[in-house]
Amino acid sequence: MNNTKGSVLVIGGGITGVQTALDLADSGFYVYLVERTAAIGGVMSQLDKTFPTNDCSACILSPKLVECGRHLNIQLLTLSELVSLKGEPGNFRAVIRENPRYVDANKCIACGMCAEKCPKVVPNEFNNGLGTRKAAYLKFPQAVPLKYAIDAKHCIWLNKPGRCGACAKACPAGAINFDDKPKEHILEVGAVALALGFETYDPSLLDFTGYGRLKNVVTSLEFERLLSPSGPCLGHMERPSDHAIPKRIAWLQCVGSRDINRACNAYCSSVCCMYAIKQAVIAKEHAAGHLDATIFYMDMRTHGKDFEKYYERAKASGISFIRSRVHSVWPAGQAVHTQKGFEYGHDLLVRYSDEDGHLHEETFDLVVLSVGMQLSASARGLLSKLDIPLNSHGFVPFSSFSPNSTSKPGIFICGPVSDPKDIPQSVTEASSVAAEISALLSSSRWQTTKTKEFPPERDITAEPPRIGVFVCHCGINIASVVNVKEVAEYARTLPGVVFVQDNLFTCSQDTIVNMVATIRREGLNRVVVASCTPRTHEPLFQETLREAGLNPYLFEMANIRDQDSWVHQNEPEKATQKAKDLVRMAIAKVRGDQPLSANVVPVHKRALVIGGGVTGMVAALSLADQGFPVDLVEKAEGLGGNARRLYRTWQGEEVAEMLQSLIDRTTNHANITLHSSTTLERTSGSVGRFKTTLSNGKEIEHGVAILAVGGQPWRPSGEWQYLYGEEERVKTLLEVDELCMADENVKATGRSPLLSQLNHVVFIHCVGSRIPERPYCSRVCCTHAIDQALKLKELNPRMNIYMLYRDIRTYGQREILYQEARAKGIVFIRYDLNNRPTLTKDGDTLCIGAMDHVLKRPLVIHPDMVVLASAVEPRRDAGELSKFFKCSINAEGFLMEAHAKLRPVDFATDGVFLAGLCHYPKPLEESIAQAKAAAVRAVRVLAQDVVPAESAVAVVNPAKCVTCGVCAKICPYSAISKDPVLQKASVDASLCKGCGACVASCRSDAITLKNMGNEQIMAAIEAAMCNCGG
Amino acid sequence: MDWEPKIVAFLCNWCSYAGADLAGVSRFQYPPNIRIIRVPCSGRVSANMILSALRSGADGVLVSGCHPGDCHYISGNLHARRRFSVLKNFLEFLGIEPGRLNFSWVSASEGEQFATVVREVTERVKALGPATRLVKRIEA
Amino acid sequence: MTVKHAELTQEIQRQAKELLASGEVAAFLGFSAGSLPMTTRPFVARTPQEAERLVWNSFCTVNLANYLPALLKSLEPPRSPKDPPPTGPLPKVGVLATGCWSRNIVVQIQENQVDRSRLVILGVPSRGMVDRKKVLAALQGKEVLEAQEDDHSLRLKGKWGETELSRWAVVRDNCQSCRHPNPVLFDRLLDAASERQAQAPFSQIEAIEAMSSDERWQWFQQAFASCIRCYACRNACPLCYCSTCFVDDNRPQWVGKALNAPDVLTFHILRAFHCAGRCTDCGACESVCPMGIKVRLLTQKLSKDILTLFGAEAGMDVSVPPPFTTYAPSDQNPFECDTCSSKGKKE
Repeated sequence: MNNTKGSVLVIGGGITGVQTALDLADSGFYVYLVERTAAIGGVMSQLDKTFPTNDCSACILSPKLVECGRHLNIQLLTLSELVSLKGEPGNFRAVIRENPRYVDANKCIACGMCAEKCPKVVPNEFNNGLGTRKAAYLKFPQAVPLKYAIDAKHCIWLNKPGRCGACAKACPAGAINFDDKPKEHILEVGAVALALGFETYDPSLLDFTGYGRLKNVVTSLEFERLLSPSGPCLGHMERPSDHAIPKRIAWLQCVGSRDINRACNAYCSSVCCMYAIKQAVIAKEHAAGHLDATIFYMDMRTHGKDFEKYYERAKASGISFIRSRVHSVWPAGQAVHTQKGFEYGHDLLVRYSDEDGHLHEETFDLVVLSVGMQLSASARGLLSKLDIPLNSHGFVPFSSFSPNSTSKPGIFICGPVSDPKDIPQSVTEASSVAAEISALLSSSRWQTTKTKEFPPERDITAEPPRIGVFVCHCGINIASVVNVKEVAEYARTLPGVVFVQDNLFTCSQDTIVNMVATIRREGLNRVVVASCTPRTHEPLFQETLREAGLNPYLFEMANIRDQDSWVHQNEPEKATQKAKDLVRMAIAKVRGDQPLSANVVPVHKRALVIGGGVTGMVAALSLADQGFPVDLVEKAEGLGGNARRLYRTWQGEEVAEMLQSLIDRTTNHANITLHSSTTLERTSGSVGRFKTTLSNGKEIEHGVAILAVGGQPWRPSGEWQYLYGEEERVKTLLEVDELCMADENVKATGRSPLLSQLNHVVFIHCVGSRIPERPYCSRVCCTHAIDQALKLKELNPRMNIYMLYRDIRTYGQREILYQEARAKGIVFIRYDLNNRPTLTKDGDTLCIGAMDHVLKRPLVIHPDMVVLASAVEPRRDAGELSKFFKCSINAEGFLMEAHAKLRPVDFATDGVFLAGLCHYPKPLEESIAQAKAAAVRAVRVLAQDVVPAESAVAVVNPAKCVTCGVCAKICPYSAISKDPVLQKASVDASLCKGCGACVASCRSDAITLKNMGNEQIMAAIEAAMCNCGG
Repeated sequence: MDWEPKIVAFLCNWCSYAGADLAGVSRFQYPPNIRIIRVPCSGRVSANMILSALRSGADGVLVSGCHPGDCHYISGNLHARRRFSVLKNFLEFLGIEPGRLNFSWVSASEGEQFATVVREVTERVKALGPATRLVKRIEA
Repeated sequence: MTVKHAELTQEIQRQAKELLASGEVAAFLGFSAGSLPMTTRPFVARTPQEAERLVWNSFCTVNLANYLPALLKSLEPPRSPKDPPPTGPLPKVGVLATGCWSRNIVVQIQENQVDRSRLVILGVPSRGMVDRKKVLAALQGKEVLEAQEDDHSLRLKGKWGETELSRWAVVRDNCQSCRHPNPVLFDRLLDAASERQAQAPFSQIEAIEAMSSDERWQWFQQAFASCIRCYACRNACPLCYCSTCFVDDNRPQWVGKALNAPDVLTFHILRAFHCAGRCTDCGACESVCPMGIKVRLLTQKLSKDILTLFGAEAGMDVSVPPPFTTYAPSDQNPFECDTCSSKGKKE
């Protein structure tokens, strides 16, 4: 009998926990998602925009929250906490306490009357205390679940029963329940995922910042709320003291991070540099350019994908970057003595010294503190309850080779619990944890899940169009430019339109629920949503139609945000006119939409993994452990890739042993078929049924593919060659790693290691990175170089080591290595691109020439060895490989994921995933997490029996077809053939992908694309050109 | 002069429409004269559709698809390339002003490129003035 | 004195009789004399006797390929559309084919309109067909009562007397600019291949190309101003075989049905574009136009560009895919020459 439970407990309802829950629920497990507050969404829901794409955080997050809230196999437990956990992997018993909401979630209709009538005003913690809310409140407008709650700490009735009760009187649904009591849930689960998130460092502990005393000193998270349209000033970016729009803003980096002097956190918080740049960029946008933005920083750490380019763009846009740790923040101007004591003006004086040691004072209207990340007290409490120890920096320790495991089997961690990290990396780890759990519980897949039933579809064939139009404000994203009310009123005048509504957020759960009811009530049979792009939101709205008993294809979107309000910010009238045109076009098109039947493709339950490095092997093993057969293809003879040349991780774990056990497991796993010295010849098909031919002649049918084709060290050349290849004392990091490994063997023989005989070593950083040809940071080299330097110091403590660097980017707890290196006397000398170090040879002596950035003096070093921290670049054939699966690469040649923030391991092409260096340079632990993440994303497909196929396929009208065969010749999928009886063209709907090439090629108009027919397109063209009204 | 051209753009869903979205996400500003019709692939765009836009009074037409080799549907844009190179020559041979018909390749990652294309096309069409040739006017 | 066309008429009659008598073909498609001088009409001979009525002269301007699909179909046993197609050998047809007609037959084979195995193609290298309108123009409208031809001249008789014209001077434009007078596909060749090869086949197109955009628009409008939308050009074309033509379609209505300029011009643009990559410049459209509109200029421009851009010519080889059903990665890139300042970044 199978005792393994098919249910999972996920603790933490931020984006990380939400992603883990969604991946597990889609892979066949039932998930309990426990969240401490009244709604899921976490810190990400508080953010305004996200870097590096400037996507609206709420816009990209909201669909995930809604999906989570509606998922049949996810049960949300909000206002809930873990009381106890007992058991073992596969079989835990968790006790959860659900605190009273005092609002019956089944009755609450989220009308907001309770909050309106509630007399008790309290600070709004969602806005970080800026602004207020009531004791009866909704956490934020797009909250999931969209249910009000009563804050027991502040509620008048709950503190003095009988004294108020205004909410209960006002509630039209009778949902207020003052007698609500804590509930206890006993859950039987197979595994636990801890997605405990982080809290920001409290800067009131740092007197020099003035935080807490000076109103216009805010934390970065508070500033997010000032920028956000759902924030306390509705996105008008007002400073707290006088609601003036700031014209001069300073960002102070590393507040509470990289700071050992003031008993703060020693580590780097990893994300602050990028979010500060992003805030400066967005703030400038808010101020329509009338803003002086200054960022005070120590090292600019833009080490993620597309970050460096973002940084360069920010510099070009006029944002000032000053390398300085600010001394103090003071009130500007003279104090005035009043009855209340001394009062100062609103502006702030920032005192700092520049790199030359000169003191400066500069006045700002607002100061933003880039506060770091740390575990919250409640997270620490929970971890101690679970007996999971923390390291000296307050994080859960992790192994680089299994970054999401804890000391307790069956309990996994993801997100910033183990190290500060950004959203994509947290989301990656979220999926990685899902992969671990999916493997652990694979014997119980689909055992505890439920199946979704949609109401039967209403037959609308005989009905004239009854169109409903929903126009979205998207907070202020649309409404600040486009006159939404006017667009809505205009839509009302168009033929066939019987219902129009404008919504603050059309994608929020309340609007979605309301839309279902509206479709039913109004008898709508076509729906238009005018909001953002169908590329992200169409599926959500289509499912809404299904829930209302309407075929999902009776739907169109008018993209009035991404393609209107965002790109015509300074032309509100023309943007409004354009929005009306776009709505009119969508209505013209939707009128012709017909119900389509859902096509499905059976899934071939087998995976193809390309690349036999660590990433590829981990992905293959994860898939195999989750119970699916894998073909692993490696170009080289042996497995291991770049890792074969790595000595140890930054945490000191030696790579060779781990690598060997990985190779052994991969080679011996029953579910893995290894194809070494093999490449791809060709691939056809699509998600669920790819067919790939390998160079060894084998043909593989597979449902999914993972591209883990790796990267390669750049071979220094040109102006960055530094005698590399000509002079054997010049080496790359990987070559020194190889020497380290060789020395281990030498040591075993009792002789002294070769490297210990060196006296002077120079490391040159950023060799080939962060330059116009390669405008990205290679992420791994700073840490790698410093760790190597420390290794050399271990071998010979008297060795003189010099680091020539541009910015040191030892992000997260890697920063500790940097501190250790400085403590051990390693000399750090900064250079910039205008003053690059030189390397020459004087006879047999190597001469490094550099400029000492502190003393401003040239200096010469005669090293015994020069180590080049050269760039990591994508493999040149990555582009070719990506084409097999119709995936794209970015300008630098790295494979392009579907979405930088929330779909970091998916390709835009369904059923194909990526991981490792082919995505971007990264250390082993991140590649491993990504590999597992890709595996579970693939399992989401493999765990299904069928995947949806294209429904909007081509169809032939035999009466018009003259069998000329042009369509069949053009079809790239060979989906068209001659019907043997009718002797007319005929489309195989299961092969058709809906590209419409056949339609455009048909002279006889005999072939059409469902819901994209010529008549509909013509209607849209005419609607675009029509000058009627509006 | 308050005449503003109207430009119909047929954008393929996978590259150029995504590029247009990226232009929005990146807030690259461009003139508001363009009306985008999302099509699955540039290969879906027929000569009839382009003529239809001109006949309906479009002052300019833009067709944009994936770069050659990047077509989501393997070869749709390559068929389109053949069709449009001939059609564009043909219509210009018949006196449709060069600049009314515009074609571009814009990938999903080229938000800025998309904005640039729209700016250029709008400029070009503005310089030509309102379209009259082939335009079917229905007198009220 | 031997006259080539008279010799060919005899040879055609002889071979058609033989094919019909032996039963190899059930019908023979050629020409018979028209009721007026300088005219012929397409003629189907079904018996050896009827084959004696076949003629071959400079006035065979109708494209016989246009009649082939219907003729072949008429010889099949009747069936409803839902019945399976007939199996086993079906009756064959003999047909005359010059260079352009044979290329049309190739296109028809590529487009599944005729079955090669049911054709016996008698190839006739073309010496160029005469344009009646040119003759009438030369005679300033005088009525011709009798016409005689030899290899190089036409002798025309009427009430006014007799005029002799150089035959080549009144040969149709498309024949004068013909690059492929010899059949590309045939079972029997009735004459030695012609060595005629036009020197500047696209000179008329080049003249229009040299005009300014405004001048071209003026030319285009004026050239088609007299069109009465009788669709004779369409009907004479062997490429036009849609069961519902776009001009007759209402859903969608790609082109208006009125006689105003946008509708007329759109009709001609789309009609020509439908022929792009398929047109063999047979001239049937222009020959039949009652208003004397030079409709061929449109299709010829398309043929010129397709030849220049893709090196393709319609109907030269059954095994070469028509230009609009294929592509080459190296095709010229119109998208980039358009936005030179913003070329795609890919190499």
